[in-house]
Amino acid sequence: MVLDVKDLKKVFTVGLLKRREIVAVNDVSFEVKTGEFLSLVGESGSGKTTTAKMVLKLLPPTSGSIMFEGKDVVGLKRLEELRWYWKQVHGIFQDPYASYSPLHKIDRILNQAFTLIGGSSSDRESMVKEALREVGLRPEDVLGKYPHELSGGQRQRIMVARCYMLRPKLILADEPISMIDASTRASVLQLFSRLREEYKTSVIFITHDLGLAYYVSDGIMIMYKGSIVEKGSPDEVMEHPQSSYTKRLREDVPLLYRKWAEF
Amino acid sequence: MALLEAEDVKAYYSTVQGYIRAVDGVDLSLQKGLTLGLAGESGCGKTTLMNTLMMNVKPPLHLMNGAILLDGKVISKMDRTTLKKNVWGVLVSTVPQSALNALMPTKRILDFVEDVITHHMNVSESEVLSMAKKRFEELNLPVEALYMYPHELSGGMKQRAVISISTLLNPKLLIVDEPTSALDVSTQKQVLKMLMDLRKAAIIESMVFVTHDIAVLRQIAERITIMYAGRVVELSSSEDILYSPKHPYTYNLINAVVTPEPEVRKRGLTSIPGEPPNLLDPPKGCRFHPRCTRAIGVCRSVEPPLVETGGGRLVACHLVSPGA
Amino acid sequence: MIPQIVKDLFKIKKLDVSLAVFIGMIVMSVFGSVLYPVDPLYMANPPESPPSKVFPLGTDSWGRDLLALLINGIKSSLSIGVTAALIALAIGVLIGVISGFKGGLTDSSLMLVTDVVLVLPSILIMMLIAAYLKERNPFFVSVIIGITSWPWVARAVRSQMLSLKTREFVYMSRMAGLSDMRIIIEDLLPNMMSYTFMAFVLLMSGAMIAEAGLSMIGLGVTKGVSLGIILYWAQLLEAVRRGIWWWFVPPGAVLVALAASLLLMSTALDEYFSPRLKGG
Repeated sequence: MVLDVKDLKKVFTVGLLKRREIVAVNDVSFEVKTGEFLSLVGESGSGKTTTAKMVLKLLPPTSGSIMFEGKDVVGLKRLEELRWYWKQVHGIFQDPYASYSPLHKIDRILNQAFTLIGGSSSDRESMVKEALREVGLRPEDVLGKYPHELSGGQRQRIMVARCYMLRPKLILADEPISMIDASTRASVLQLFSRLREEYKTSVIFITHDLGLAYYVSDGIMIMYKGSIVEKGSPDEVMEHPQSSYTKRLREDVPLLYRKWAEF
Repeated sequence: MALLEAEDVKAYYSTVQGYIRAVDGVDLSLQKGLTLGLAGESGCGKTTLMNTLMMNVKPPLHLMNGAILLDGKVISKMDRTTLKKNVWGVLVSTVPQSALNALMPTKRILDFVEDVITHHMNVSESEVLSMAKKRFEELNLPVEALYMYPHELSGGMKQRAVISISTLLNPKLLIVDEPTSALDVSTQKQVLKMLMDLRKAAIIESMVFVTHDIAVLRQIAERITIMYAGRVVELSSSEDILYSPKHPYTYNLINAVVTPEPEVRKRGLTSIPGEPPNLLDPPKGCRFHPRCTRAIGVCRSVEPPLVETGGGRLVACHLVSPGA
Repeated sequence: MIPQIVKDLFKIKKLDVSLAVFIGMIVMSVFGSVLYPVDPLYMANPPESPPSKVFPLGTDSWGRDLLALLINGIKSSLSIGVTAALIALAIGVLIGVISGFKGGLTDSSLMLVTDVVLVLPSILIMMLIAAYLKERNPFFVSVIIGITSWPWVARAVRSQMLSLKTREFVYMSRMAGLSDMRIIIEDLLPNMMSYTFMAFVLLMSGAMIAEAGLSMIGLGVTKGVSLGIILYWAQLLEAVRRGIWWWFVPPGAVLVALAASLLLMSTALDEYFSPRLKGG
């Protein structure tokens, strides 16, 4: 078992005098096994990104537990502990533009990884180039360039290259392909599959796209208003949905091979 | 007679570095009573084409070549004043991509309705109100929404309000650009249903729907146009596009769509190597040839024309119509 | 060879004009005293004489050459303006960064302090401090102005920090295990540079006017000349009523030109940076 999340909760309090509570994540529990691809599916406001941020220790939970390989994650505070964690559990975000500081060259995204993995200065250059080649990019095409000089697909691949350098046990990918052109999405998805083949990396895909979740995952979890309302294999969720929200979702997704009845 | 016809339309953006050939020789025709989907990836020119089709063309965009006929009238020759008076809102109307932000936050929905109506007709306030109420009821929109401010409405409701305001004067053609990309699936279905209802209620005759989402087009469009790098590469019925695409790009694009269907899982997802071309200096010959796995010699030097191959299909590919 | 940003900036006409005016003023003040080496405080010239060939801007009631006074005055006002702006910027940025980054109790308390200083009438504070000091050198005056004009900068910088903190690239740096200090220095501050520069320009404009204000009520520098002080003397000797226009019009016009050109520059910079930030 790689990740064990139990009763994770996040409550935001808004307002100064008249305090209002917003429960963004409501007692969410799930497990991730080695080499498993899971999808956390939900619309905006469902709490899926907040859940991911808590697992990535970018946001502190209000309550609940997160265990990574049996060790408690919520209590990690010291920088060395956090670095140990982030080498094993890493994140990729949806906007390939906002994931880069516009004022730095893209090399920085990769060089930052050395804070987590060390490596003598003579090895570093070759490690970076090797990782870029793994994701199908030619180092000379992208090194030394600024984010705005590269396409969305290239930027997203560089993010995955960073993961090739770290070889984490778990990646949380927040809408990793939604902002790339349709014609390049499949090849970016393949990069995740290869990470799984080579290093047994597990991936949690956070997405609103039920189609992507169905295609790529071993298990789907559907979130609605902060809670997980459905859990199961893709076939189970699509063919025998338990919750009314899932049923509605399934009916409202536009399909290629079947047309909506009432249209 | 077709409702909309475009002949060899070329629309370029003038920049310091030269012309961006966003729409580079497009032929199109749309019959009455049909919805035409306009699909393609970012940068293919579909938004520019959409603007050009209704002659919403101002610098740095220029209509370099071609004619556009709407309801038999040559709108590509009209000046902006005539277009504003006789064409926009009346013959053709649009719901642009940023429609959700198109409503000024300080006016109520009814005020927008009034603006549109009084710009074209001389009617009293009470007539405006009754027209608005009638239209909202026709489209299953709550009449109370007329008295609300934009921020009081949800995203889906705002979108539907914008659509009803743009079609108040029953334009024959409605052009929409990614009207549902920012909405969740259930709201999207509601908005799409409303668009279909517009046609059923004879408020509009035809629609052009611009989007990158082919699954949506499969649900609402009878014919689909696939664009690549400023040109139309295929135009067929939505069944033909899905079940027997003829152009290699169409074939790849369909296979890159992911929906939660067993057919998709069985066929797998494919991707196309390379990147879409730079429209300042597109490749010679067929624009897709650098990325096409089946390109032959002539593809590199001669641009394939859009040719009718029977059954209402149009394809621009040397493999399909050799020596056309 | 010229960086692209400089080329792009110069495409905005507003910038050309304001920069030209401003640099013109600086050049005049720097080289003026070399080209026109007249002692501004020399009092033996014919008093209150209108502009002439000998005295291009005439003389004041004590027979001092007004052109010489003006040149020295610009120099003085500019240096006080820059110093005061730097002091205010330093305080504002420091507080804004700490407040925005740390959040929580630190943020609330710092913002409370900021709001208190914001609400205090700065003119009164400046007057109180100024009146208390017997000797006021230019640096003191800069400090007085600087410590009362930083609150809006702190608030603005804090907002920038709050929004930048949740940008994905900051998350990427955090997950790479970078320390807080490195994140502030490498990621956050550089991405706020454009705003900081604009704030500096605005602060300078405000500082020069504040200095003029202080001087006009007699609380400016005790020794030396500044634009505000020239106006102070003009006002003291009733130059307006007596029609001695060459005394108050030039310094007033120059002050307005300096402040206005800085304001125009900041709008031009804002125009340049904002659409960029929006990814446009």
